[in-house]
Amino acid sequence: MASNKTALKKQLVAYSFIAPNFIGFAVFTLVPIIFAFVLAFLHWDGANPIRWAGLSNFIALFDDDQFKAALKNTIVYTGGTVPLTLVGSLLLAVILNKKIRGRNFFRTVSFFPYVASLVAVAAVWNMMFNPTKGPVNMMLHSLGFKNVPGWAADRHWAMPTVIFFSVWKYVGYYMIIYLAGLQSISAELYEAADLDGANGWQKFISITIPQLSATTFFVLVMLTIQCFKVYDIVYMITQGGPGTATLVLVYDIYNKAFISWRLGSASAVAMVLFLLVMTVTLIQFKGEQRLR
Amino acid sequence: MDQKEVHMKKIAVFVLVSLLLCTGLFAQGTKEDATAAGGKTTIKWAVWDIAATTYYQPLIDAYEARNPNVKIEMLDLGSADFMTMLQTQLSGGDSTIDVVAIKDIPGYNNLVKRNLLMSLNDKVKSEGIDLSLYGGVPEALTVNENLYGLPFRNDFWVVFYNKDLFDRAGVSYPTNDMTFDEYDALARKMTSGSGANKVYGAHYHIWRSAVQLFGILDGKHTIVDGEYGFLKPYYERVLAQQRDGIVQDYATLKTSSTHYSGVFYNNSVAMMNMGSWFIPTVIKEIAAGKTEVKNWGIVKYPHAPGVAPGTTLGTITSLGVSNASKKKDAAFDFVKFVCGSEGAQIVAATGTSPALVNDQVANVIASLPGFPTDPASKEALHTAKSYIEMPLHEKAGEIEIVLNQVHDEIMTNNISVDAGIAKMNDQIKKILAQ
Repeated sequence: MASNKTALKKQLVAYSFIAPNFIGFAVFTLVPIIFAFVLAFLHWDGANPIRWAGLSNFIALFDDDQFKAALKNTIVYTGGTVPLTLVGSLLLAVILNKKIRGRNFFRTVSFFPYVASLVAVAAVWNMMFNPTKGPVNMMLHSLGFKNVPGWAADRHWAMPTVIFFSVWKYVGYYMIIYLAGLQSISAELYEAADLDGANGWQKFISITIPQLSATTFFVLVMLTIQCFKVYDIVYMITQGGPGTATLVLVYDIYNKAFISWRLGSASAVAMVLFLLVMTVTLIQFKGEQRLR
Repeated sequence: MDQKEVHMKKIAVFVLVSLLLCTGLFAQGTKEDATAAGGKTTIKWAVWDIAATTYYQPLIDAYEARNPNVKIEMLDLGSADFMTMLQTQLSGGDSTIDVVAIKDIPGYNNLVKRNLLMSLNDKVKSEGIDLSLYGGVPEALTVNENLYGLPFRNDFWVVFYNKDLFDRAGVSYPTNDMTFDEYDALARKMTSGSGANKVYGAHYHIWRSAVQLFGILDGKHTIVDGEYGFLKPYYERVLAQQRDGIVQDYATLKTSSTHYSGVFYNNSVAMMNMGSWFIPTVIKEIAAGKTEVKNWGIVKYPHAPGVAPGTTLGTITSLGVSNASKKKDAAFDFVKFVCGSEGAQIVAATGTSPALVNDQVANVIASLPGFPTDPASKEALHTAKSYIEMPLHEKAGEIEIVLNQVHDEIMTNNISVDAGIAKMNDQIKKILAQ
């Protein structure tokens, strides 16, 4: 009995430590998330009585031009940004893990875009890539290119521009994670490989990559989730334009919820986004398990 | 019961208790009342941009001087998301806000639809307010025969022009009676130079309203029609000006986030169509010596053949009383004052156009120090007919999303005018049919 009481006491102490954080989480995250799930099956404009919608919010998405464009763009954005950032950050990390001159300087330079304020760097980026007056296009002109890209103002180039920007912004952050992963690989493995006469490429393929698989998995999952949730970068670079060329799912959710005040439809899109992220993450988990 | 079940039960109890605790905390928070101490009635007025708006304080001072028992407090909800913030606040049952400023018609419609505003019909009748003084605006604000807001400001579009640039080019100033052809010819005549010395004949800010709404001035179409063929000649004209270098390129303006005031201040545009809200700003900036432009004027909007000169677009700001307010009578009294003739003169004294415009009010603006002294600029303050930018419509928000997207596509030459119009027709008809 006495030991039961001490156990309870211990648990209460533990809970009391979790409580402040949990209360905040429950009020500002958990309850709204549950509410959003329910809302996807309702019609609501934020004030008038709520009506039951069944699956109609979801069915309507099949004929929703905004949603269809946003879904396609989000997949294209994720499909472009994830592999480029992953490969880019891995290569950067491998190069900057070597004892080269100015290593710390280059590490700082690569990490800088991640710490710089998005608003500021996006403004500079837009100036540099301005279709008519930007230095990038002027340089391309002087190099003899006739049809220079319209970048953020061209519907074919807008998405590559956003992807390009995202890779530049995030590559430094994931490079740091890869650097940490590289530090933890035992030097003995490389020494053994040297004794066996392996060249650099063989060591990279047979030691570095397999040893980094846990890191790669983490980077892959985080990056994918981050890409599906993108909003800020698109808002700063193209505002979803031209037309709907860079409209992404979170943008569509915002428009539906706070411009059109169709909270049910917005929640339905949020559900689709949630399922999409969950499916992709589960597939990645399964893949990782198989690799082990 | 096994260990796991006990555990789950404990967690469930814990969650419940924490939630109860939170709701208790919040319930306490909402019980507060805005009534100040000392027997004074405090009215809370939801506004945007206190720092940048010059007329709020004079209006409050004048009202409090007449009503020593009332104290007006402002609540700044920010400019960019004002309507969303306000709506969220009121929908959440906030009873501390008494008077609300309503930025635009779609925002007004949203508040009315949600039953967040008090109908003013009875008050208008019992206080004998003459709605005819507001030039047709109350009709545009009437929903199911109920009026929920009194017009406070009515900003209308005019053409601002740079007199020095016209003088230097030896071209006579624009007039209060210009057709679109004349306006276009004048813009082409005024375009000159290159590089840093380039002067553009005209300027369109990236808002769709700066181009699309030329189309509704004939009174035959509205922007929520679902049929947009009437926009074609205006898009073609503006795109031709863009192609010929008469106006700055939309894509450049958008990607560089260029503000319209900058290009006007630094002498790079000869004419610019913009709302009358820009008048007090220009006066202030020139007085502060922050601009290169020194002499400027305004004329009435260009018009299509057969349309009366002075026909223009208006953006209506109104004031309403929150349905949740506990001091509706006192709140309405303040609204009546601000939107009435005394309030209008106080607003006009800051260079802003109140909704109630009569000769007296127009004279107040025209005699402001820094307002252009030529008779044409004074005359331009009198509008013949003002169409509202976005009429009351249940689907206004959704329609606007499509109109903005297609405008962006047409102006960046990503889509032809015809294809753009077809897209608007198609998508907006779908929205209207929902």
